[in-house]
Amino acid sequence: MKAKLFALFNSSLILLSYSVTTLADGNSIDKVYHPYVVETEVEVEWRTLFQNDNDDTLDDQQVHRLGVGYGVTESLFAEFYLIGGRSPSDDFDIEAVEIELLWQLTEQGEYDYDWGLLFELEREIDNQVWEFSTGLLIEKEWGHWVGAANLLVEYEWGNDIEDEIETAASFQLRYRYNAAFEPAVEFYQSEKTTGIGPVAMGNIRLGIAQKLHWEFGAIFGLKSETPNQTIKASLEYEF
Amino acid sequence: MKKLTAVFMLLGLATPVFAGTPSFTIEIKNHLFYPDVLTVPANKKVKLIIINRDESSEEFESYELNREKIITGGRKGIVFIGPLAPGEYPYFGEFHPKTALGKIIAQ
Repeated sequence: MKAKLFALFNSSLILLSYSVTTLADGNSIDKVYHPYVVETEVEVEWRTLFQNDNDDTLDDQQVHRLGVGYGVTESLFAEFYLIGGRSPSDDFDIEAVEIELLWQLTEQGEYDYDWGLLFELEREIDNQVWEFSTGLLIEKEWGHWVGAANLLVEYEWGNDIEDEIETAASFQLRYRYNAAFEPAVEFYQSEKTTGIGPVAMGNIRLGIAQKLHWEFGAIFGLKSETPNQTIKASLEYEF
Repeated sequence: MKKLTAVFMLLGLATPVFAGTPSFTIEIKNHLFYPDVLTVPANKKVKLIIINRDESSEEFESYELNREKIITGGRKGIVFIGPLAPGEYPYFGEFHPKTALGKIIAQ
């Protein structure tokens, strides 16, 4: 335990020293969460999005998230993120911080569907803008196929933004081909986002109780407010 | 999670699968699983009660069963598996992967 907490502290320092800017506002393409927690597991995560579009306001924007999380109990996982990015008009800068809690409600396989809850609280660093998101995480397994759905409600408020409530949904259909490679399709839907595309992911075992989880995908916008392509990638070191 | 089970049943959001669900116990002692081979009924949901008799944590992990569960020292964990097609499903203890080995046989 002491070794893990020391590693967690070190990782936090690395994150705080990382420099990143500009969030791609309105694009809800990100990650499909799964309603499971591994107790005492530490996770160091880097997640990124690259947007391409013919519209200059959507084109060539990047979002980066660096997170450190810990399985606090057998049903609660907590993660802290630094969020930043860059756009053609702005250099890299850290723009926001976020705290996330994932609450596993049911044991995997206990019911017809597996259930969890997600809570996220985000605060922009240079602006008086807060965002709170919460919602259901649902998963179902059919042999080698696994379906996941995230249904979220987001509330934004602050002095530098007009208060608003939005909803966002994301879905993933994944084929468990082998541990190192699992192909999937993801679909995202929100006020400004409708997108679908192929994603692949897998786990690489690095040693005793150490894994590297990778994901890579391309989500294609289906309406004008959504970037034509959003390239998504993530690496998670779990130990 | 038992309270949540009742809440979900009341809300009609879930159908309990454990009524009549066969239950089996696996113990972890000296970083080994006992029994290391367990036969369970095929095509039926099964509840595994995994009791960790060691002081240190162990992780029950199986890609074939799509399950990953940490059982801290001196505690027990519940893992639901299946319905499984007839066959063999290996699992291992992630903290002692060379010695903590087992398999579930569904038949």
